[in-house]
Amino acid sequence: MSLRDVVVAALLVVGVGVTLVSCLGVLAMRDAYDRLHFTSPATTIAPLAIAAAIVVEERLSAAGIKALLVALLLLVTNPVLTHATARAGRIRQFGEWTVQPGEQVKEGEP
Amino acid sequence: MNEFAVAALVLLAGLVPCGVVCLRGDPLSRLVGLEMAGVVDILLLLLLARAYDRAIYYDVALALTLLSFAGGMVFARFLERWI
Repeated sequence: MSLRDVVVAALLVVGVGVTLVSCLGVLAMRDAYDRLHFTSPATTIAPLAIAAAIVVEERLSAAGIKALLVALLLLVTNPVLTHATARAGRIRQFGEWTVQPGEQVKEGEP
Repeated sequence: MNEFAVAALVLLAGLVPCGVVCLRGDPLSRLVGLEMAGVVDILLLLLLARAYDRAIYYDVALALTLLSFAGGMVFARFLERWI
């Protein structure tokens, strides 16, 4: 078992472990806003660890570059999706909020 | 069976909590469960592409990344007021 195999195995354990723990976190939390927090470790640490494992194994071939591309794409798109989901929940709860031009925004009002 | 196939098999267990979240709770929680299941699917496809050792299979994971983002945005948009 070479050093490369050890590194690949460690990266895979990190990626899979983080994903499983955040899945359990999504199950355990009480409401949707708490659940949303647990999607972020699964879209930052886990894809980067798995893509790094593939790059270590394949070098920077077509496969390694595509794996890195998937990880970077997840890193960019998922915060947008999380924000849109939380915003949808807030609008469902409190209704649309609008501020007219020239109107004062009052503190503490939704 | 290499280590990537083993990792994919273990990661498959992560779909069960996501499915349970999708089956109960308020609509927003179900959407979060769906998004989480999409992320787990993307990682599974990455691992399986390496396990089968075909460079073309990585494109499936790439397409699912873009499509699950678009699908999540559409669901969030509809949940804002119509559903």
